[in-house]
Amino acid sequence: MGVTVVAAPASLLAVLGLLSLLGRLKSEQTVSRIVQCGVVVGLMASLALLGLMLVTGRRHIEFGFGHWVSIPHYDFWIKFEFDRLNVPFVLLTFILCGTISAFGTRYMHRESGYVRFFVLFALFQLGMIVTSLACTIETLFAGWEMVGLSSALLVAFFQERPAPVRNGLRVWIVYRVSDAALLIASVVVHHLTGSGDFDNFLGRAAWPEGHGSLTGSAALLVGLLLVLAAAGKSALIPFSGWLPRAMEGPTPSSAVFYGSLSVHLGAFLLLRVSPILDVSPPLCVVIVVLGLATALFASLVGRVQTDIKSALSFASLTQVGLIVAEIGVGFRYIALIHIIGHACLRTLQFVRAPTLLRDYNTIENAIGDQLPIGSVLFPRRFSDRVAAWFYRLALERGYFDAILADWVVRPFIRVFECCDMLERRWTDFLTGGPSRDLELPQSPTRTLDDLL
Amino acid sequence: MTAHHSPHGEGSNLLERLKHVIEHAGHLLPAQGPITVFIHHNTLHAFEDMTFDEGVQAGARIFGCLPYLTEDRYRQELARGRIRIDDLTEVLHRDLGDRSDGLIGPLGTRYHLRLTMLQYPMRLGPTEELRWFVAETDALTRVRGDALPEMRERLLQETRHWVMRDLRSGQRSQGESTLSDGRAIAAQGERAVIADLLERFDESSIETWSDATWETFTLQALWSVCRAGVVQVTSLRETNGKVENLPHGRRHRDLLFEVTGEDSDSKVNDLLIRFCAAFLDQGMARWPLPNREAGFFKAFCSLYRASGGSPDWRRLGLPAELARLEDNGVGPLDSIAESLRMLGVEEAEWEEFISATLLSLRGWAGMIRQMELRADRVRVPAPPGSVTEFLAVRLILKRIVLAEIAQRTLGEAVPLDRLRDALRSRLEERDTLDPDQRAFLIFQLAQVRGWSPSSLLRMSKQVWSLLVTEVDAFSEIERRRVFHQAYERKFRQQTLDALALHVKGPAERVRSPKFQAVFCLDEREESMRRHLEEIAPLTETFGAAGFFNVPIYYRGAGEAHFVPLCPIVIRPQHWLVEDVAFTHGESAQRRAKTRKAIGAASHRMHVGSRSAAVGAFLTAGLGALASIPLVARVLFPRLTSLIRGTASRLVRPPESTRLRLERLTPDPGPDDDHIGLSLVEMTNNAERLLRDIGLTSGFARLVMIVGHGSNSLNNPHRSAYECGACGGNAGAPNARAAAQILNDLRVRDGLFNRGVEIPRDTIFVGGYHNTCNDSVTFSDLDRLPFSHQAEFTEFQQHIDEACDRNAHERCRRFMSAPLNMSFPAARRHVEERAEDLAQARPECGHATNAICIVGRRARTRGLYLDRRAFLVSYDPKADDNDCTILTRLMSAVVPVCGGINLEYYFSYVDSVGWGCGTKLPHNITSLLGVMDGAASDLRTGLPWQMVEIHEPVRLLIVMETTPEKFSAIMDKYDGIGKACRRGWVQVVTWDPDSAEMQILCGDHFEPYRLEAKELPKAATSTDWYRGWRDHLEFAEIE
Repeated sequence: MGVTVVAAPASLLAVLGLLSLLGRLKSEQTVSRIVQCGVVVGLMASLALLGLMLVTGRRHIEFGFGHWVSIPHYDFWIKFEFDRLNVPFVLLTFILCGTISAFGTRYMHRESGYVRFFVLFALFQLGMIVTSLACTIETLFAGWEMVGLSSALLVAFFQERPAPVRNGLRVWIVYRVSDAALLIASVVVHHLTGSGDFDNFLGRAAWPEGHGSLTGSAALLVGLLLVLAAAGKSALIPFSGWLPRAMEGPTPSSAVFYGSLSVHLGAFLLLRVSPILDVSPPLCVVIVVLGLATALFASLVGRVQTDIKSALSFASLTQVGLIVAEIGVGFRYIALIHIIGHACLRTLQFVRAPTLLRDYNTIENAIGDQLPIGSVLFPRRFSDRVAAWFYRLALERGYFDAILADWVVRPFIRVFECCDMLERRWTDFLTGGPSRDLELPQSPTRTLDDLL
Repeated sequence: MTAHHSPHGEGSNLLERLKHVIEHAGHLLPAQGPITVFIHHNTLHAFEDMTFDEGVQAGARIFGCLPYLTEDRYRQELARGRIRIDDLTEVLHRDLGDRSDGLIGPLGTRYHLRLTMLQYPMRLGPTEELRWFVAETDALTRVRGDALPEMRERLLQETRHWVMRDLRSGQRSQGESTLSDGRAIAAQGERAVIADLLERFDESSIETWSDATWETFTLQALWSVCRAGVVQVTSLRETNGKVENLPHGRRHRDLLFEVTGEDSDSKVNDLLIRFCAAFLDQGMARWPLPNREAGFFKAFCSLYRASGGSPDWRRLGLPAELARLEDNGVGPLDSIAESLRMLGVEEAEWEEFISATLLSLRGWAGMIRQMELRADRVRVPAPPGSVTEFLAVRLILKRIVLAEIAQRTLGEAVPLDRLRDALRSRLEERDTLDPDQRAFLIFQLAQVRGWSPSSLLRMSKQVWSLLVTEVDAFSEIERRRVFHQAYERKFRQQTLDALALHVKGPAERVRSPKFQAVFCLDEREESMRRHLEEIAPLTETFGAAGFFNVPIYYRGAGEAHFVPLCPIVIRPQHWLVEDVAFTHGESAQRRAKTRKAIGAASHRMHVGSRSAAVGAFLTAGLGALASIPLVARVLFPRLTSLIRGTASRLVRPPESTRLRLERLTPDPGPDDDHIGLSLVEMTNNAERLLRDIGLTSGFARLVMIVGHGSNSLNNPHRSAYECGACGGNAGAPNARAAAQILNDLRVRDGLFNRGVEIPRDTIFVGGYHNTCNDSVTFSDLDRLPFSHQAEFTEFQQHIDEACDRNAHERCRRFMSAPLNMSFPAARRHVEERAEDLAQARPECGHATNAICIVGRRARTRGLYLDRRAFLVSYDPKADDNDCTILTRLMSAVVPVCGGINLEYYFSYVDSVGWGCGTKLPHNITSLLGVMDGAASDLRTGLPWQMVEIHEPVRLLIVMETTPEKFSAIMDKYDGIGKACRRGWVQVVTWDPDSAEMQILCGDHFEPYRLEAKELPKAATSTDWYRGWRDHLEFAEIE
């Protein structure tokens, strides 16, 4: 049964992906039936599993696809588990993905990218399931990558306009940074414990009672890398800039990806590795500070947003910040409940976003007056100049994009330009003259005559 | 609009002139106001002084959009028969007039050349593309596949003869004197052109060449000849050509983009979009822009001059620049003058440059202008002069960013005022068409027209020059213009044929009608009226503008604000409110309180869910409950809405309400004592309504007045689906008020004195048709006398049946609705669409509009018009000699129906350019409009989902009158005259007696000729449309 939970989304992706590659997917109805089928089977299997776990009282079920590589000091498994943390998360994924796919089949009707949307959707769903069920850090990384890839491509869904593609690329870059952190973390874990199995470094006991085998500075190092990974995925400070930019895609994808599921993935990762948090108080402090700062920042920025999707995305971020802080403090179950509640509510709000004008009108009619403008003002005890300063900070979204460009991107590019220059000098020296002229494009001939 | 501003009197200074230029350029900006009140209008309203074709082409140049459909698209329409060859020939002859027979040397007439260029797609592109095409296809080895066989044969035969007889025999006869010297020399010259070719094909074996070799040889010879011919004339033209300099007022950004590929606008827009949205915000953000009341410029300066801002703008020097401006007291206008000076823009090009600058963020700039002009209509208006201030800020940002990019990418410090010269010098000289491209075009033409190399070779330089000129003159835009005319002609002819064949005798009204029903003139009511007439043949229907001549500000029970319910051109003088019946007063108050509490709570939740603390409580505590409405609404929209409807009935105002209609105080106004209309005003309105639609006698016992509106979810453009004659709102209150007025016995007495007698036993009932879910409801049924109840029940059954059938007819246009549905299933389908959050096409709106018929229903009754015609009831027999009624009707029909039609035309022809593209990424911003995704220009026009099935043709107005009478109206009323004579609508007069039709062409009328033989017939509408998705031909319903 556990296998079905993973197999259903995997075969959904395989079927949709293969058929669309072969060009066999023509009718919208076929696509929507296949998607429904995949989601329903997955949902039923996970419900059954939940029932089974409740009835038998087992709190931890594992199943794997064997050792793929097993040499001394290195061990690579594909392995999944079910426990109290990820069963609710998997159910949430299936329910929201199912609802949104039903929404999408009508919303995307007659859109030229219909099939593409659902292929990416299937990839995303598989990524979510693999990430949440993963029992080794490599498996988790695989799912994490699928989510990242599908998200970036869905942001750039309207590929004929430049803005979505540009913003999709930006999302992708931030995701790469966080992926790199996760990858380094897994290498470090392998190095320290000899395998990426969660059982090894998070303890054998079922979540949340595991005891990490890492201690002290090792735990802090691994933990910080994981926090960096989580921060990128969950748009925590200073990576928040990508979240509003991700609103380029069609409404259903922004709803499910950034409003509800994908943005919580960072928090989920922290919950998963919570045994490490238990052994490293400085790490907890970092997480709490990061979470609270993000919540504070997002709630400030959210106040000045003038479009509904940005307003909702910063509202999401506020809650994600709080959830991260809760994890840092140690409220594991509260954080889990908070994630689930928040995901449902926000999805509903995102899906209803285009109806905003009507909702405002309804509320005004009920109240019998115009809605107040500026219902939540900046604390009055500050002077106007300070208020204006903060307003600009909020309007410009904390200048994080510009700061990252200045402090991270620019030095990065500079280093590579430096390398390029050295290489050019070296090749020039070797050829004894300008060595790269051949790379310049030739200006094409301008007549047809020579083709006669 | 391109008229240059003339220098003012002596006293005017530079800034005055600048102000004038800005004001003038502002007219180009989109005139769409807040999206909650969507008023359809001609997208190119600013160009109405030109003819339609000049206007769309000028507009397309200035806005960078498409004027017509693409050539490929028209050719597809030609292939599927939507355009016939007959239409093309007719249009071409008319277009060329007596020039059509002009000969181009031996190659045939101008008309034939043009027809060929229309019929056959010619590949044309940059030389690199042509090279690719030639290399990858058999373009130089095989004759085009679409060339007619006889043309192909002629081409091959003639070439063969030419080579074998003339060239080769010419060579053989070289020393001999059998041929005259002249011919020999000519043959020698001809031979020179293809000498290479002969050599390459191995001339010695010429007798054994296969057919394929001959074909290849022919084509290559043809190409050589074409190229040689074109080169000899273009080298001539080159010397006197080259006048085509780069346009004068081009923006620095465009040049810079062309040279370096860097878009300076993207950085400027990034900041400016956010600021514009904050400046215009109508209450979306909880924290409004500080210092907003000081105006755009001041608010911007004070916000962005402070230190500690974004590092990139700080590096560019924005805070320092703003501080300098503010501290030196430089105002917006001074700043614009300064920026223009710094950018090196001369006064001569101000107009063009400023237009282009404003248009580069046209949605936002246009909205600022609307908020300035229509300050009375919005909650947070923009102070006067905001467009100027916007321009000032834009130019400051622009020059700062330009300076940086130029420095970085050009590698040298170029002063800004000379930047454009520096950029132009780097741009390659570009000729419009180089010889290869022209030659390739003629090469393709030669194949389909069967011009042989020999005949082309023998043409004189003058003929070649003429040929090249002719080919150039019939440019792509010209071809599309002709195609479009043919596209419209086919439809016009089809429509007029149907009308002409349908009219068989004098128009007679229904004798002793049992019911009469007045609908809105909207084309969506055409099918409703048709079905009603089919179901109940004793029903007579009328079409009037959907505000039924009761222009009011209206506030319903349980509504917060007065809403203007009338066409945008009218400013209402009266206020109406709906009160809950006195007996229900107590429960109404209780419910109002409950509603207020629920409203306040939901507002608090709405805001709270986005805050930190309340949000945490809501999401963690109650969030999971949100999954219930989420799943229910998405999976079971119709059921959920039924449940919600039942629940909300508990708190809605009680059903029995009444209009506060009559005013006893002298002056109208919005406060309690001045609500309503006086008796005289009511009588005036009622008389005008009845006379407009020609219902002044022969009243039935029951007369329905049915307004309409549309209700759908998740649809920011909802207002665009509602009644245009009610200013983008639902017209139920107008219908209700009109019925009540007409039921008033004192009003009837007044009408009697003015010659309209309404029988005592005639009762008017107001109703409301929801065009999205096809329901019809009636108001004030409590007042219906017992004597009429049985008849009313019968009518209700009829209208219910008509709603089912109407829904069914609409469903054929929805691709997601199966074609084999029953009537009730169709009704359920449209009900579900209206309540579905995921539905991007709740209804098709005006997408099928194309015709407007102003005349008696008797003439069109029983004709299947496929929901494509606005039907305006007008009785020419009842009009006076000055056509007062027709004038009144036309002054509404031309701007309103014509505006709807043109807005659909443009939004369809270039959905991304004129319209607002696909709806899927739309994002409501500032409660004013929509952006694409996270941040973009404010998108105006209609979304693709709304216009998808539209056929872009200009509105065809057919009215029952004579050319003389209508000419008089056009002369007298400039607005009507301009739109009709300059072709923004097509006009046809239809003689009230003889039914003869005349088509308005520019300034004169031309008689229409019947082309079709007979009209298809069907027993019912359903029989005719069932099983079809596309637009249908018109048919007679028996």
